[in-house]
Amino acid sequence: MLETIASAQVFVLALLLLMGTIAKIATARGAAEPGALARLGPAVLVGERWRAPAMYCCAAGELLLALGLIFTELPIFRWATIAFFSMATYVLLELRRRRPDVGCGCFGEVSARPIGLRSIGRTIALTGMAVAATWSPASVLSLLIPTPGLSWTLLATGVGGALLLLAALSPELEETIARLRYRAPCEQRPFPPAAGLARLRGTAAWRAHAPLLLSEQPTDIWRELCWRFFSFPGRTPDGEMVDVVFALYLSGRRPPVRVAMVTADGEPVTNLAESIPVSA
Amino acid sequence: MTYPTPDRRRVLAAAALGRNAHTSGEVVSGGVHRRGAAPAYGDAGVSAGTDEGTRAHPAPVRAVVGEVRDVSPHLIIVETPDGHEERLVIAPWATAWRGAKIAPADLPQGAGVIIRTLRDGKVAEQIWSDITRITGTILSIVADGKDQVVELDCGPHRGRRSIRIPYRASGRIQVRHPKFEPGYLFDAIGVRGEHGAIAYLPATSQPAYRATAVPSPPPVYGGAQSRLSGAVTWADTFDEEEHGASYPMLERSDTGCADSEISCTGLPYLSLGSMLTIRNVCADRSATVPIVACGCLAGRFCDRCVECDTSPRGRIAELSPISFVELGGDLTKGCFNALVGLG
Repeated sequence: MLETIASAQVFVLALLLLMGTIAKIATARGAAEPGALARLGPAVLVGERWRAPAMYCCAAGELLLALGLIFTELPIFRWATIAFFSMATYVLLELRRRRPDVGCGCFGEVSARPIGLRSIGRTIALTGMAVAATWSPASVLSLLIPTPGLSWTLLATGVGGALLLLAALSPELEETIARLRYRAPCEQRPFPPAAGLARLRGTAAWRAHAPLLLSEQPTDIWRELCWRFFSFPGRTPDGEMVDVVFALYLSGRRPPVRVAMVTADGEPVTNLAESIPVSA
Repeated sequence: MTYPTPDRRRVLAAAALGRNAHTSGEVVSGGVHRRGAAPAYGDAGVSAGTDEGTRAHPAPVRAVVGEVRDVSPHLIIVETPDGHEERLVIAPWATAWRGAKIAPADLPQGAGVIIRTLRDGKVAEQIWSDITRITGTILSIVADGKDQVVELDCGPHRGRRSIRIPYRASGRIQVRHPKFEPGYLFDAIGVRGEHGAIAYLPATSQPAYRATAVPSPPPVYGGAQSRLSGAVTWADTFDEEEHGASYPMLERSDTGCADSEISCTGLPYLSLGSMLTIRNVCADRSATVPIVACGCLAGRFCDRCVECDTSPRGRIAELSPISFVELGGDLTKGCFNALVGLG
């Protein structure tokens, strides 16, 4: 039974790796021309001219792993898949820290939403599934051939369960549903500033920074694509006058919020509570 | 607390989203960085005029704006708005435009010029004198002898303007403006004169709808919008040496203008201060320019640019004349096909 469930993970992993390959190639082909509105995936961490090659390289790696899982039973592909998704988890964490506005690009342009805990949770789940897949002796191709010990019901349940888990961890579905409702991508949908301000006031980031604000009324509100920015006059605990800027993502039920404090000469102020991890 | 400005917005947005804000700024034009014109932003995601960086860069173009102090067949001396004197060699193939093509040596002293230069701004290649663009909604048309005087509403930021269409240009303009009557859009290129602007060339084929009946953008299918493709034009409502663009899809609360947020093409929302990376696909040049004004009127034009190929419908942005020239545009043609992204 456990072997069948592990075999289901091989099937799901191969499917996702193939989907990722196709989406990344499509995005990289489109990105060959300058003028992108949104920047996607870890490729933003490299220089402009290396972005498309980086995406092709990632797609090639995924394709190799997918083919390895589909056609062979070699353990090296199973271990390489674990390594790939572990590295992907680290890269997403790093990307979230360094460029919080960038989407993960996991499935190309569909994954434009900023990286959240769900995207990271998905790569962790995939790493777990890759670990489980090492228990399966079968390749995807051998699963498609009827064998005496194989329970199709159990296999289908394993595949379905894994896909449901991944769907629950996929922010892409939320944007797809929004597109079906509004028929326009987030950056083209009108969002009244007042509604955005009300939404911001319900977030944890607002509650954490509200004591620093000198006024609850923003001095400036503007919008860029899917981000709404609110700038407030504020003062740090040291007494330094700063602008506290909140960036609110305009799509999704629990939108990401980013905050920064900037001095009059344009230098960001590091919040001590954020820079020093609490160890006790 | 600081007073909100577009530059400040860039700094704050960069801090919030972990981008690099280059407030001192560089602009890339034709693959060459030029300092001090406008700030670059974001990743400084500026392409150097080619797709992959493998092809040769086109020669850099610098535009010079000023007033003619002296001109001879081989040399033109121009006083720039900041009081400097630029001495430019006139290339043997150079032409000038002042209502019609003329020899550069025939330019009058004191005429305002914008010059496309080569060789680090030392050689004048193309000169436009007192050129103006007249874009608006026709309010009234009055005959004055054989000429026509047209009153235009040039949008909430530009006000009303009265222009003259001389008899010799009226046929050429009206053939591209079949609905030459109040309520319809008008777009022409002409010359600034002592008694107002004089239109000589049509700048587009007039849209067939009334200015108040702009078609809705087509429904969007597929994934997220990754880039914009369409026509980029120019307008002369910018300061003389200003690098920048006006963009239609700015929020009304941002611009204080009830005419923004109108476009016949699906444009994403941006704000004053956002940076646009514009690539002229006809001349293969790219630049990053800030949005400095509302393109209320540009959004009403659902036309195509046929400069080097037929562009998709709709105007994405209006550039200042100097930015337009440095991106390889010809002011008398009025537009170029462009790919536009966020800078």
